[in-house]
Amino acid sequence: MTETTLVKAVNLALARAMTEDEHVIVLGEDVGKDGGVFRATDGLFARFGADRVRDTPLSEAVIGGISVGLALAGFRPVAEIQFSGFIYPLIDQIANHASRFRTRTQGHKTCPVVVRAPNGGGIHALEHHSESPEAMFAHIPGLRVIVPSSPRRAYGLLLAALRGPDPVVYLEPTRLYRAAHEEMEDDGKDLPVDRCFVLREGTDVTLVAWGAMVVEALKAASQWEAKGTSTEVIDVATLKPFDAETVINSVKKTGRCVIVQEAPLTGGFGGEIAARVAEGAFSSLLAPIVRVAGFDTVMPLPKLENLYLPDAARIGVALDRVLAYA
Amino acid sequence: MSTFNLPDLGEGLQDAEIVAWHVGEGDHVVADAPLVSVETEKAVVEVPSPRSGYIKRLLAATHDRVKVGAPIVEFEDEAHADTGTVVGDLAAKPPVSAPPPPTPAVAGPPPKASRTRTLASPAIRALAHERGIDLTGIAGTGPGGTITHADLDRAAAGPERATEPAAGPIVLTGIRRTMAINMAKAHAEVVPATLWDEADIGLWWTGHGDITVRLVRAIVVARAAVPILNSLYDGQAMALRTLEQVDLGIAVDFEGGLIVPVVRDAARWDATSLRAEIDRLKTSARARTVAPADLRDPTMTLSNYGMLAGRQAALVVVPPQVAIVGAGRIYQQAIPGAGTVAFTHVLPMSITFDHRVATGGEAGRFLRAMIDDLQQYN
Repeated sequence: MTETTLVKAVNLALARAMTEDEHVIVLGEDVGKDGGVFRATDGLFARFGADRVRDTPLSEAVIGGISVGLALAGFRPVAEIQFSGFIYPLIDQIANHASRFRTRTQGHKTCPVVVRAPNGGGIHALEHHSESPEAMFAHIPGLRVIVPSSPRRAYGLLLAALRGPDPVVYLEPTRLYRAAHEEMEDDGKDLPVDRCFVLREGTDVTLVAWGAMVVEALKAASQWEAKGTSTEVIDVATLKPFDAETVINSVKKTGRCVIVQEAPLTGGFGGEIAARVAEGAFSSLLAPIVRVAGFDTVMPLPKLENLYLPDAARIGVALDRVLAYA
Repeated sequence: MSTFNLPDLGEGLQDAEIVAWHVGEGDHVVADAPLVSVETEKAVVEVPSPRSGYIKRLLAATHDRVKVGAPIVEFEDEAHADTGTVVGDLAAKPPVSAPPPPTPAVAGPPPKASRTRTLASPAIRALAHERGIDLTGIAGTGPGGTITHADLDRAAAGPERATEPAAGPIVLTGIRRTMAINMAKAHAEVVPATLWDEADIGLWWTGHGDITVRLVRAIVVARAAVPILNSLYDGQAMALRTLEQVDLGIAVDFEGGLIVPVVRDAARWDATSLRAEIDRLKTSARARTVAPADLRDPTMTLSNYGMLAGRQAALVVVPPQVAIVGAGRIYQQAIPGAGTVAFTHVLPMSITFDHRVATGGEAGRFLRAMIDDLQQYN
């Protein structure tokens, strides 16, 4: 067991998959000699060579197109986009091609592209460097959308993505790259990519989050435990396909549900979760389903960033609100 | 789109409380059919629909107080039913529904159970359903009046608790509120004094007889003898107006409180028609449909409190009236004779008067005149 950061866990999973399967190819801007903008591909170039760790031109559309082509030719491309805010030129390749091959070929062929990108704010970055576009991808049929929140889950979920047959958008919470660290083993074990993870069991309220917001949710749960509130914390981890059952069963137990998302409120994935809970746990609901989210504005620059990002304090306000319904 | 505003119900009333809707949203209503019942300070008044048409929205909920002239109903515009263009025109409450009519006797659409204004979370509703508890009428103590689990438990514990809000006292409304205001005013203003006596009614009372009709007649007779007790007194101006016509308020007790309809010109009725008039007033008072005109300006009041219990009572004079006559429970009395004892029935009576205006002598003469009349066979 070694103390491992989230970015190191990503690196370990990539190396493990490349060792297991020579068809795994890493490509992206500065992923080669430089080891990637956050060093997620650090050492891979030296270890697996220029054929399997490819620096690309500064063109996300090209990275997407090459990846789709490689996947159809039998490779397992892992594309790194430097920030999820740069991912938009590649969406055409994802939405119109990668996600459709299973259907287009009547199940004969899939397109196992894995697109990785740092996601979300909290690192005082420039414009386009702190976006949270996961809901856009969750809306596309035929994709898996994964957002890890800890080194172990980052490792296990990425391995599953690299071993599975499906196109995957894998969004890594940038602010947790080095902030999140835990003891873990590079044991090659993957985690299911169709499940939510119950990180903490509770009976009074269900707190649902993903990515960096999981850390805030756990923080709030600990603080409210001191006030006598028993909070169940669920890490969604895989947004698509969404494991509604785990969340619904939890809310059936607690009667209350607070959802935390860093993305702007409107049209966010939290709305989808709220709808599923309302449908599936209606008669158990003691309180309105409450979302804690970013605001419906462009992600602010560093000066105002902390005002935008949901944190344990804002989650606490929501907890108090739903707990008032006894 | 057209809206219907709460009409002026007369009496200078400023507002009224919605007691029951007789229509629901989406219902068709014909002109003059009952639309809504509202409780003014004095009575429950049924407001008819001003027109035929479909109800688009109810703009006030049961128990809301609505100002006269405020919109209460929005009608569907039948000429062009495109409602999309007008939604949001009115700064109104969210749509509310028609609760069940207050009594089965009132004609109206069937109650729509799913559209009540009861506030409860789905979980509490499910629990109530499971336990067979009706949430209607349970006072919620949760956010915004939402019914909580504890409220449900309290409701299940006992029917009394179910209707009483656990959070605190209720604010008086309607008739009881009016009574509270009037009584406090009376207490602050009037200087009351009471005389008690009794009338031997053994000549005509055989265990039954129309006491009230006889009392009204006796009051009319006594007024002729002592006019000043049939007066209206303005304490501030110290202005006294003594009236010839007795407009006699009859105190009617019912479960909703006290209401005092008026027998207009008590002298003009014979026994039969007086009984019919009293019955009419009592029935409409208890049904809370009494017309404002039947409640207006009594010059004196009669309280036949002995119907229930009580031989003597000092009553409350409600200004600007000057006197109130009370009649207690009839009882049998032994009268000592020459070596024997006779039995008779006596009617205990009282007159409470405002001593600012009338003297004890005047009250005594008035009561004496009443007794003399009541003791006659016919």
